[in-house]
Amino acid sequence: MTGKLYEMTANLGGFVTGIFAAALSLFSIAMRTFRGVFRFRGRAQGEVLKQMYLIGNRSLIFVTVTLGALGMVLVFQVCLQINKITGDQSQVGPEFIKGMIHAFVPILTAMMLATRVGAGIAAETGSMVVTEQIDALRMTGVDPVDFILVPRFIASVVMTFVLGVYAMVIVIVAGAFMAHSSFGVNYNVFFVFDKVTGGDLFIGSLKLIVHGGAIPIVAGYCGLTTGRGSEGVGNATTRAVINSSLAVIIIDFIISGVGLLTVQKI
Amino acid sequence: MITLKNVSCKMSGKQILDGITATFNKGEIWGIIGPPGCGKSMLMKLICGLYPVTDGDLYIESENIAGMSEVRLVPVRRKIGMLFQNNALFDFMNVWENVAFPLSRMNSGLSPEEIRLKAFERLKAVGLGGSEEKMPSELSGGMRKRVGVARAIITEPPVIIYDEPTAGLDPVTTSKIYDLLNEIQSRSQSVVLTISSDIIGLRSFVKNILFINEGKILYCGPEQEIDHCTDPVVYQFLRGLDEGPL
Ligand SMILES: Nc1ncnc2c1ncn2[C@@H]1O[C@H](COP(=O)(O)OP(=O)(O)OP(=O)(O)O)[C@@H](O)[C@H]1O
Ligand SMILES: [Mg+2]
Repeated sequence: MTGKLYEMTANLGGFVTGIFAAALSLFSIAMRTFRGVFRFRGRAQGEVLKQMYLIGNRSLIFVTVTLGALGMVLVFQVCLQINKITGDQSQVGPEFIKGMIHAFVPILTAMMLATRVGAGIAAETGSMVVTEQIDALRMTGVDPVDFILVPRFIASVVMTFVLGVYAMVIVIVAGAFMAHSSFGVNYNVFFVFDKVTGGDLFIGSLKLIVHGGAIPIVAGYCGLTTGRGSEGVGNATTRAVINSSLAVIIIDFIISGVGLLTVQKI
Repeated sequence: MITLKNVSCKMSGKQILDGITATFNKGEIWGIIGPPGCGKSMLMKLICGLYPVTDGDLYIESENIAGMSEVRLVPVRRKIGMLFQNNALFDFMNVWENVAFPLSRMNSGLSPEEIRLKAFERLKAVGLGGSEEKMPSELSGGMRKRVGVARAIITEPPVIIYDEPTAGLDPVTTSKIYDLLNEIQSRSQSVVLTISSDIIGLRSFVKNILFINEGKILYCGPEQEIDHCTDPVVYQFLRGLDEGPL
């Protein structure tokens, strides 16, 4: 009985210290990345541009198709419901645009990039761990976080923002098209931006930037802590997708809450 | 040069190395042998400070690297050239950039052009002239090994570690690699630690042998005298017998 209790306590202790160690290691990677960004000064610019191109290339069609489709479905459903109640479609456009900018597009774009970019970074760094390339880098006095993660971090922050803005355009245009073609809403009535406040723009941009930074850090952490063998790389990739999506959801929730209490008017 | 005092290493609850005590002096060539999974590679990585020593002291020259921080390890690691068991060539760089990389990361006082020329010269020395611009993925296993050797020695470090320099190579290439390692060693007078499962080839190259089994030292001494070692594991391993404790 005592033996079993002891074993359970020991397991629980191991679990808690494991979580604590993981959090500490994630925090250390984040700090080293930030420090690397401040010391960056144009070194390895080519690498950043290459990563930006890869992120854009991997995600452009994906973002266009998914967000275009989502924009149309959302507007269709809203218009359908309104038709059943009042039939006044004049507010659909302005409210839709506002909601997209501060809430929907940042989280959806970031979730999509978490799967594409996060998986890519984890697979890349993970296979560098199992082929001992990370050890070889450390032997030459290079911090793998500085060398591998910092360029990807900068590229991801910039490209998440750019793709987010692009996604807003796609979603709004697709929504307008649907409202016009299915419910006869005039484009002039749909494209009204007065509901969008400075607070909305600020929160939308802030979310895109923070998500864009969280994805490579979480994915890089998963990659750098890869277990041994190709099985380890597979696990790291899966963990990266799950954990970076989860990180995006939690961060989004916090920023939304703080935003609504401070800069935004509902 | 390198002194290990009672060095142990435990990872995820498993004792990988246990009470290793040994000294490797300047100019000595050591062979590290033992059954698969006995901890040979791990011992080399401890010497490089890539994994933490859990117990004991490990001196490189006069510095104890046990528990040293990553930042303070940087100058220590520059004294060591390492050929990894998987070669560990950077797959995002071409062959000559791989070889030049350690040198370009040091304050060697050389210009980028001089570093490039030196990398080309080293590649020629390992018989890879003409492959400088290829990517590692375009090379055969034996060619990659030789790129790894060229990268390990480019900075002419006082400590050179070769983890399986001849694994998967034919006898002719093996003997060429050993000739090359000999030539490098006689020029630089560095400490050389070589892991190999090709016992015969290795014994023609090294002067001393360290035998490890299950994380413990079974033999540590001159190459000629290991034949007289009475330990049953060593006896069986050296002669490749079916009967025995292994
Ligand atoms: N990163 C690690 N984490 C946990 N255990 C490890 C790690 N690296 C190695 N080990 C374990 O340590 C032991 C020794 O491994 P090592 O790679 O040193 O063996 P080796 O003697 O080089 O074998 P081989 O001749 O097959 O290369 C093995 O049992 C291995 O499973
Ligand atoms: Mg090994």
